[in-house]
Amino acid sequence: MDVLIQIVASGLTLGAMYAVATIGLSLVYGSLNMLNMAHGAILTLGGYICYAAIVHAGLHPALALLAAAAVCALVGLLIYFSAALPLLRAENFETNIFIATIGIGSVIENLMLKGFGPYPIPQPLAVGGQVVIGNVHIPLQNVFILGVAIVLMAAVAILMQRTSAGRAIRATSMNREAAQLMGVRVGRIYAQVLALSGALAAVSGIMISSIATLTPVMGGDPMLKAFIVCVVAGLGNVYGAVIAAIALGLLEAATQYVLGVRWSFATLLLLVILVLIWRPYGLFGKQQVVRL
Amino acid sequence: MTSIRRDILIGLVCLALAAALPLAMPGRYVITQSTLFFIWAIVVVQWNLVLGIGGIFSLAQMALFATGAYATAMLGFYWKVPMLAAIPMAGVITVAMGMLIGLACLRLRGPYVALLTLAIAQVMYVLIVNDTDCFTTVGGCMPLFGGVRGIGQFGDIGLRALFPSKWYIAHYYVGLALLAVAVAISIVVIRGPLGLAFRALRDNPGYAMSRGISRFKYQLWIFAVSAFFTGIAGGFYAVHFRVVGPTVFSFSTLLFLIAMIVIGGLGSIWGPLLGAAVLMLADEGMRELSDYRNIGLGLLLAVFVIAWPNGLNGWLQRSLTSRN
Amino acid sequence: MAEAALEIVDASAGYAGRIVLDAIKLSARKGELTAIVGPNGHGKSTLLKAISGLVPVTSGEIRLDGSRIDRLRPDQIVERGVIQVPQGDLLFPAMTVHENLLMGAYANSSGSAERLDFVFTLLPKLKERRNQTAGTLSGGERRMCGIGRGLMAGGEVLMLDEPSLGLAPIVIEQIYEVIFNLRREGRTILLVEENAERIAEHADMIHLLDNGRIAWSGLGAELMARPEIVETYLGV
Repeated sequence: MDVLIQIVASGLTLGAMYAVATIGLSLVYGSLNMLNMAHGAILTLGGYICYAAIVHAGLHPALALLAAAAVCALVGLLIYFSAALPLLRAENFETNIFIATIGIGSVIENLMLKGFGPYPIPQPLAVGGQVVIGNVHIPLQNVFILGVAIVLMAAVAILMQRTSAGRAIRATSMNREAAQLMGVRVGRIYAQVLALSGALAAVSGIMISSIATLTPVMGGDPMLKAFIVCVVAGLGNVYGAVIAAIALGLLEAATQYVLGVRWSFATLLLLVILVLIWRPYGLFGKQQVVRL
Repeated sequence: MTSIRRDILIGLVCLALAAALPLAMPGRYVITQSTLFFIWAIVVVQWNLVLGIGGIFSLAQMALFATGAYATAMLGFYWKVPMLAAIPMAGVITVAMGMLIGLACLRLRGPYVALLTLAIAQVMYVLIVNDTDCFTTVGGCMPLFGGVRGIGQFGDIGLRALFPSKWYIAHYYVGLALLAVAVAISIVVIRGPLGLAFRALRDNPGYAMSRGISRFKYQLWIFAVSAFFTGIAGGFYAVHFRVVGPTVFSFSTLLFLIAMIVIGGLGSIWGPLLGAAVLMLADEGMRELSDYRNIGLGLLLAVFVIAWPNGLNGWLQRSLTSRN
Repeated sequence: MAEAALEIVDASAGYAGRIVLDAIKLSARKGELTAIVGPNGHGKSTLLKAISGLVPVTSGEIRLDGSRIDRLRPDQIVERGVIQVPQGDLLFPAMTVHENLLMGAYANSSGSAERLDFVFTLLPKLKERRNQTAGTLSGGERRMCGIGRGLMAGGEVLMLDEPSLGLAPIVIEQIYEVIFNLRREGRTILLVEENAERIAEHADMIHLLDNGRIAWSGLGAELMARPEIVETYLGV
């Protein structure tokens, strides 16, 4: 019983972090058909900005979080204007933007390596204390992460479902041309989505670094996991992605307990390989019929 | 002049120049770096077939390279297979691996292929690095795949014994010969029926398919062909450095190689080779700035894709045709 | 004679170097139903796309109430009041009917509540289905939803691209009844239709588009009196 509580508690925390990391990625793919390979680097940048804002600038932690989100939203905008916008005008957008963001991600990652050094730094934005359920001690930090993640996901859901701007984003991802005929300025939607995705990445980066540590390469792992979530859910399917993220978090916590930390990541990757071979468009994805 | 004749001519001139290099610059550093260039050039020339000709966004090329290197090392270490037999065997094993990956990717579309192949490479890396159980204790504890430290002491192709002081020049020629064959194969593929089939599939998929050109069949073929020489290059890498470790999976190597293809010109015959040469030289020239190496590589990659998607090769061809 | 709402003056357009429309000249007058007929693949849809700004106009002009709109972005053209109901509906399949209608009013939300009432009165089926996702509608309902979505924009010119395409004859009749009613109310409509007979007696003006050029223009009633034209171009 205690084991189960332990697995569920850490699984939910992991799942919540993955969900926040994934939403942005999935939104961007859904509306632009863009696989943002710089997502991991942006996520790490969020963690470092928060650290620098608290330690060097002496900002209040809440303000530091906002500052990190703002900076990463700006990076998202920058990627839109410098890479996505020119590439959208040319052919082979999907392939080219993939390669371009690999390059951009490498630039951001190595700039952080220059700026903050290769050594792990603890994330100052952390909550002490713990809650006890049964015989299990759960750090308050995990509860805090879960809370922030739920609030964020609810905010994104309200934005997408209840506002005109959110509807326009969904419309654009369903049918770009139809959205244009409704008067949606798709360029602006793309910019908004990339900015939103950057801000969400920053928050997830802060969360992840608060239970591990900050290193310049820490983004790679969560990004690959976010990709796995996207792939399992079907690229661009935001709600499927949230469910898949939480399932993946629980599964990871379970495999860590059963097989040990060493093998959990490999198990997850094997799982995604099997899912892709079995259902090429994701568990919740629909096959797109290509008309000739 | 037909394009295939022109390709043969360019190839022979490059081959002759490269063959003469050790006479002009016999320094050990230049020769060993050039040998490394040959190895990477083989990989990018073969990768270009999958990426540029097949239009399959596979990131598994370094995993295939690693398969060849590890297969060679393990055949030598565990079964004492002589290297001259182990390297071709590794090539065949890599083909099997390549076809397996090709099969897994068959039903997938662009970005899913990239993610699947990236995941496959990552699984291989994680499995190798995280394995700390001793498989054998001969000469200390060693996991099946050598773990973090990798595998060494698996033999040699014999050139070190044959030319004790000039073995690196011998290796240079071996690398050059392998590259020449790999480039020849790539010309045959690009100009031949396989390249034609892929062009047809890209330009008019409906017509191509109705004429019986099966994407599945050709996709498997191109994976198999490109895997063979990538595996051989991996095997040669293993004997050249006498050790194989998980560093071959590193992201910065992947970045380096993909930048070669993109900067040279994706899908062209000479572009990847040109890109490999330019980047190897640039890497040498900016050795003291090595801290900024990956920043520069990333920037170059992004700038080329955005501003010059046809790479240096496209630029060269444009300036050549505008002069005529 | 009513003044022109939309004027196309010697406009050419096409994709990637291939000219699909060659010096088209026609206008849609206020309160009238202007029809463009002609065989498939001769540029009818491209013309509507060019007006909406989805296909670049390479030469000539498109004017709305005298001011040029051919250099504007698609969203700016919608804002000016030129609304297109595209071929094949292009609904947002995962959104409900109600959300689809709200998307129609995206660029012009003032007065959208009244327009929603109007659409629900005109197309009562949509009111029944308002909370159903658009992907689950039948073909006829989908077409109704597309037209309703276009009406939600409250624009000045309503362009309809083959609203009868792929529907059963009885449903086509219902759809056209709705469109002819809108005409009677005094809406400016630009209609693309392959089958001239279906609309000839209701259209104020008919333009025959053949191979990217206007082959014949005239009053709606005139066309049916010219069997040689009908036979040559429309192959009836």
